[in-house]
Amino acid sequence: MTIMKNFSRKQFLKTAVGAAMVLVSKAFSTPVQAAEKFFREPAWKRKKPYWGYAIDINKCIGCARCVDACKTENEVPREAFYFRTWVERYILRRSGEVNVDSPNGGLDGYLPPADPETVTKSFFVPKICNHCEHAPCVQVCPVGATFLSEDGVVLVDKKYCIGCRYCIQACPYGSRFFNPITHTADKCTLCYHRIKKGLKTACVEVCPTGARMFGDLSDPKSAISKFYETENTQVLKPNLGTQCKVVYKGLDKEVR
Amino acid sequence: MKDVQHLIRVVIIFAVALVGFLSVRSLLVPKSFGKLGHYRADSVDEFAAQPRHYAGAEACKKCHAQQVADKAKSSHRGINCESCHGALLGHVENPKSDNKPRRPKETEMRAFCGHCHERTISKPAKYPQINLKEHNPDAPCNMCHQPHQPK
Repeated sequence: MTIMKNFSRKQFLKTAVGAAMVLVSKAFSTPVQAAEKFFREPAWKRKKPYWGYAIDINKCIGCARCVDACKTENEVPREAFYFRTWVERYILRRSGEVNVDSPNGGLDGYLPPADPETVTKSFFVPKICNHCEHAPCVQVCPVGATFLSEDGVVLVDKKYCIGCRYCIQACPYGSRFFNPITHTADKCTLCYHRIKKGLKTACVEVCPTGARMFGDLSDPKSAISKFYETENTQVLKPNLGTQCKVVYKGLDKEVR
Repeated sequence: MKDVQHLIRVVIIFAVALVGFLSVRSLLVPKSFGKLGHYRADSVDEFAAQPRHYAGAEACKKCHAQQVADKAKSSHRGINCESCHGALLGHVENPKSDNKPRRPKETEMRAFCGHCHERTISKPAKYPQINLKEHNPDAPCNMCHQPHQPK
């Protein structure tokens, strides 16, 4: 009873608040730290294998063999609206004007640019699904047909897709299209049927200059890990926070 | 007692609705849905089972060792066979099949080699390029350049 008597209201409140704070910090500190670590650390440090992709713009010659190979390997319709990968040509002019074209995804070849004397620089940019860590298309899918697989590939479940086209609208990179044969959303699968068997993707297989590169990011000795670590790379639209796993070397600021 | 009977009726209606919901749900949601995440886990295996068309560079060495060895010494060493010859898994599985390697005819050759070697301002400056209209316009490329040992 003596203790209770000596315990003033002020002391009681002090002790209670202190105890509550200790309890709260004990209860939340570990999960919060774990969550922080989870979001700061790239997924390829946790999961094995984890696929990544890289494109070296300084090596691309715009031959579009990749576009052709992708259509053959994945039986993508040959019409000019359906591409899982395509090659864009950028033409920058002295006036600051930027022209981008990709006739039939690059398969038809590129016409010589008009007014060549005003061109300051020109280059090719191969485009492909960026297999974002925080993919907008995955977020918006109303049925769970689009998802990020355990090994880091964004896929579309053709049997589960209801064809609402919401993901096609959501993709900031225009990497999706509506397949007229399956009537579902369609996109690059990173040749999932090939990489699972230890083969290269069709586009990497046929690229004559080695501008395209692919590999396992969870293996620190792989060529792709070295590329990620040692080269100066950039992703498309970094401001969107999508955390693309397709990185570009030699990307110009005008590329969108 | 009257009030309790009211409640029993409500409970029965709720129970029937719940059982109905759960049975319809179990019929509609695929078995593997949610196993790995908010998707059908079986679809990953379905993707892995998709048929292939390109065989991969390793497959060519078994029969065409000479051509592969020639190419390995040339400036075309970084290019895989199927890059020029097309998708050839059918040919690898059965060399007599209709899946024949692409070999451009003499008339098609300039356009075919031109995919990579036609001069444009967009290609990297160091890459070997020619102006198709000025560079021996009537000659097929392989008159001077062998694709497996280009010079």
